Amino acid sequence: MNNIWGDMSQYNPVTWHWVIAVYLFLAGLSAGSLLIAIAMRWVKGDREESPVLKAAALIAPVAICLGMLCLVFDLTRPFHFWLILVNYNFTSVMSIGVLALLVFIPLTFLYALVVFRGQLATIGLGFLQGLADVLNGLRKPMETLLFALAVIVGAYTGFLISAMNIYPMLNTAILPALFLVSGISAGAAANAVVALLLFKTPAHDHELGRMHGIELPVVGIEMLFLFMLFCGLYFKGGAAAAALASLTTGTWAAVFWTLVVAVGFGVPLLSLLLPAQQRHGKGVMLLGALCSLTGVLALRHFILYAGQSYLG
Amino acid sequence: MNKRYVMVHDENKCIGCQACNVACRSENQVPDGVTRLQVRVEGPYGEVPDLHFKFDRVSCQQCENAPCVKVCPTGAAYVNDDGIVTINHEKCIGCQYCIAACPYKVRFINPVTLTADKCNFCTDTRLARGEQPACVTVCPTNALVFGDANDANSDVSKLLNSAPTYREKVHLGTQPRVYRIPARKGGIEA
Repeated sequence: MNNIWGDMSQYNPVTWHWVIAVYLFLAGLSAGSLLIAIAMRWVKGDREESPVLKAAALIAPVAICLGMLCLVFDLTRPFHFWLILVNYNFTSVMSIGVLALLVFIPLTFLYALVVFRGQLATIGLGFLQGLADVLNGLRKPMETLLFALAVIVGAYTGFLISAMNIYPMLNTAILPALFLVSGISAGAAANAVVALLLFKTPAHDHELGRMHGIELPVVGIEMLFLFMLFCGLYFKGGAAAAALASLTTGTWAAVFWTLVVAVGFGVPLLSLLLPAQQRHGKGVMLLGALCSLTGVLALRHFILYAGQSYLG
Repeated sequence: MNKRYVMVHDENKCIGCQACNVACRSENQVPDGVTRLQVRVEGPYGEVPDLHFKFDRVSCQQCENAPCVKVCPTGAAYVNDDGIVTINHEKCIGCQYCIAACPYKVRFINPVTLTADKCNFCTDTRLARGEQPACVTVCPTNALVFGDANDANSDVSKLLNSAPTYREKVHLGTQPRVYRIPARKGGIEA
């Protein structure tokens, strides 16, 4: 420092750090895993609980709770977090997000009860059997509500940071859509990992294959949205166009091109070129899924840090 | 009629002495390492011997359309009865959404209270006692003028009606209430 006007460290424009990026990732992951699993269940008209659905029912509550821990312990006064539950400001995206999460989080736990209602006794939760059976009778409305809330939660993580018009890269209409779609791709990947490792699903499982098949269009839309984001900045000119420097200079450019593009998009897409026998092997599927998850986590970091580094 | 408190910083009169900075720290008990108000000295510009500096007041711009108030989830950042944007520290949880959203980057976490903090024109201290903000009172060159712009007879109204002024980042729609009179010597870049 040693400026006569004092310390400048409080003026760093990057306010939110990696903990928030991890939170944005986990919330998107929680919503995305449910969205893809419930949608597949509806399309197939399933009666039994598929490994993918079981994976989602497990991932959704765990991921969102880990995300909440990140969020609360990133507060400067974590033990005052309850104030956000009793005070609301409806012009604040964060406040609206709190309301959505207040319904979404309990619902993910109740949905897990329903999906695992056959195994409750074996894991020592037999006393919840009655509740699980009652909820199973309300399954369709419950799934519909959960699906809608998952869309809201997935998009909200984007709205949260796009609401700040000082950051041209964040203040774009495409960001909530981008986060929703990349959340779905992370959710699909996490579902695959958990189904393969925890529920010992064979890699050639029909449903895993279908979920894998959805990956190509989802990644395609994700890349399209990213392209639209950058084009929007370019066409806007001025400070917005200046923010495109984040693609060519600094640490975050390296993170973007290596982790987001090469690892996150490149590896899973290239694995589709393998012969069917290898492509559906357990090792390749796991590798692809872990690369997708890495890519989405890196994307959250890139958007958050690069986004906050350029002011309008 | 509602009050519309505004401040004018005359960059011709300012000498960058930081008396305002120090007075603010003392009046508002701002801890070391953080500031509500600083005057950045930029330059020197020009050719020797005709050198000059530019003085940039960095503090809350008291936006009439304040992003911090909009994004605050608990209502801790709010608009006072006198129209001044201030903070209810009891309600602040330190999510830092306001700090991120502030276009002028003048909000910070107070290391003592662990809540968001910033200039509020001394609304709860000196203004409440009918006095002018600390920075205005202490300025040795009278570079700061403060008052109600809705009162046509106030000094600040007369000044705004007679001097050319500019405000920062008006393109973001924030309607800041800190006006600056540009320095005649290269206050606005060629």
